[in-house]
Amino acid sequence: MSGAYLPGPAASPTPFPFRARAALTPSPVPPPHRSPEKGPGMKTLRLMTVGGVIAYRALFNWTTPGMFIGTLLVGPLFQLLFFAYLGRQLQVADDRFYIVGNAVLTASLACVFGGTMAVANERRYGTLGHVLLSPRSRTAVFWGRVLPYAGNGLLIAVVTLTAGALLLGLRIPVSALPGLLLVMAAGSLACGFFGLTLGALGLRFRDVWVISNVSVALLLLLTGVNVPASGLPGWMVAVGEWLPITHAAEAARRLAAGDGLAAAAGPLGQELLVGAGYAVAAAALLKIFEFESRRTASLDVL
Amino acid sequence: MGSAYAIEAEELRRTYRARTGWLKPRRTEVEAVRGVTFTVGRGELFGLLGPNGAGKTTTIKMLNTLLIPTSGRARVCGHDVERETREVRRRIGYVFGGDRGLYDRLSALDNLRYFAELYAVPAREQKGRIAELLDLVGLAGRERERVEGYSRGMRQRLHIARGLLHSPDVLFLDEPSIGVDPVAARELRRTVADLASTGTTVLLTTHYMAEADELCDRIAVIADGCIQALGTPAELRRRAEGRRVVEVEAYGVPESAVDALRGLPGVRETAVEARGALQLLTVHSDAHVDVQSDVLRELAGIRLGRVDSREPTLEDAYVAIVSAAA
Ligand SMILES: Nc1ncnc2c1ncn2[C@@H]1O[C@H](COP(=O)(O)OP(=O)(O)OP(=O)(O)O)[C@@H](O)[C@H]1O
Ligand SMILES: [Mg+2]
Repeated sequence: MSGAYLPGPAASPTPFPFRARAALTPSPVPPPHRSPEKGPGMKTLRLMTVGGVIAYRALFNWTTPGMFIGTLLVGPLFQLLFFAYLGRQLQVADDRFYIVGNAVLTASLACVFGGTMAVANERRYGTLGHVLLSPRSRTAVFWGRVLPYAGNGLLIAVVTLTAGALLLGLRIPVSALPGLLLVMAAGSLACGFFGLTLGALGLRFRDVWVISNVSVALLLLLTGVNVPASGLPGWMVAVGEWLPITHAAEAARRLAAGDGLAAAAGPLGQELLVGAGYAVAAAALLKIFEFESRRTASLDVL
Repeated sequence: MGSAYAIEAEELRRTYRARTGWLKPRRTEVEAVRGVTFTVGRGELFGLLGPNGAGKTTTIKMLNTLLIPTSGRARVCGHDVERETREVRRRIGYVFGGDRGLYDRLSALDNLRYFAELYAVPAREQKGRIAELLDLVGLAGRERERVEGYSRGMRQRLHIARGLLHSPDVLFLDEPSIGVDPVAARELRRTVADLASTGTTVLLTTHYMAEADELCDRIAVIADGCIQALGTPAELRRRAEGRRVVEVEAYGVPESAVDALRGLPGVRETAVEARGALQLLTVHSDAHVDVQSDVLRELAGIRLGRVDSREPTLEDAYVAIVSAAA
């Protein structure tokens, strides 16, 4: 019924009419002097960094100052204090063991949940289909999303280590600081890719948050941050070897003890390997599950 | 770019398998699309009409690579939608009606910035392109507000802007005018027509017959997963040719009178639609039989409003096609 479409001239202006249709015609005139086209490497880098930051703002739940400080800074700091005092009481290990280990571990909360949110929250907004319509590399899109979370984790680890050391009177040699920063960055990155792997599972399983919650608890137990590896059953230690943070915490302790970078290089390398492993696993899972979803319509992608 | 067609669909089928229940899993199968074949020429504006659940969205999702066909083949700009996904995705835009599908926490501007990255709009063109599109869809000035606070129509406008970001060759519009106010809907139709006239191929689904009639070069009517009719709007209207439509506004028509109308010689279908206090009677008849006087005689004693005898519209043809399929 054409009557419904106001066939006459628009009587009253609406607040937001569509406008200037000429604007749509694809501009036939190319920019006169094309500056040399950026290489594919640069474009991918841009997708990972610029895209990653926008995605972080879009998908991370804890960006408000209150949530950020409360959930990611204050909570973990209390956890650190709890274990440090418990450790003093039980005389299992010294302050340095707990402070350094827990500080490195604090990165995991932001990183594991962040990585999960980076994929799973797409469901919440119904945007996954529009993301999957992108012709660009999934790997670049999703690896890029990990970077802000890793940065976040690093910041948290640094703040917690500083606060914990000040509150409990732990002295860390100044010469160890650059190494510590490097180790915590490696741990954060590995955690981020670990989280992304869990997030990828979210493409297949709706209740992926359960997995993230359990994983965060497991990290507390299996990374040897609070219970020395010697006090854990063999299989738990073996699993811990494959988790992020385990090796970073070990490297950080050696640095904080003043052993120097050479002594920490071994575990640092292992941490990086674990991180790389999860990065590859996440990329593979994302590919597999995307294909699955196209075949079985398992994803309510839109 | 060997292909003369923008879209080629060949015997497309799609079955959904779902498992329900956890302890006693039951498998259910829905044959959403059952052998759909059509081609769309470059720059053509092609409409896909059909009742709810007919398989329109499923067809579009197979063409835009989000679903793999259960069987059959399709190509977009000559590229296979199953295997050459990247090539296809580079060339298509997809606008999907609805409230979801946007990052609520971000502003419209940031939503567009992000998708400009994802849809490979070169960095130096992004800013200009986004401003142009915001202006086009009438969101300029509100682009820094969070999408969270957007009205339904504003969201829909943003969906449309996103679909156009990378100036796609082929545009899939799945109920684009849903929730958009009438004036803006008219502007949207103009925009779509302009896009088609400058070479963009458009595949449009809509439930507004007038929209389809005004815009589409050709229309496929799909019901029950199969194409029931395909042709230009004029050709489809001819489906209802040989018919004449009498519309009568009446107050308090008893069921018996409607039955009596059905029995009149030359009458093919009757329908009653309640519109507040009045009822709208629609009587389809053979064109060569003038049933108007018979109809009025049957309705004697009932208070009547406007009486109208007219040529069938696309909507009448659509109703005839779809009810024949049912
Ligand atoms: N993911 C899914 N899983 C199972 N069944 C589905 C799925 N998506 C759609 N269907 C079914 O497939 C059929 C066709 O759905 P489709 O969305 O293609 O219809 P449509 O023509 O777009 O309808 P509408 O006009 O309401 O948008 C429906 O019966 C629907 O229930
Ligand atoms: Mg639909």
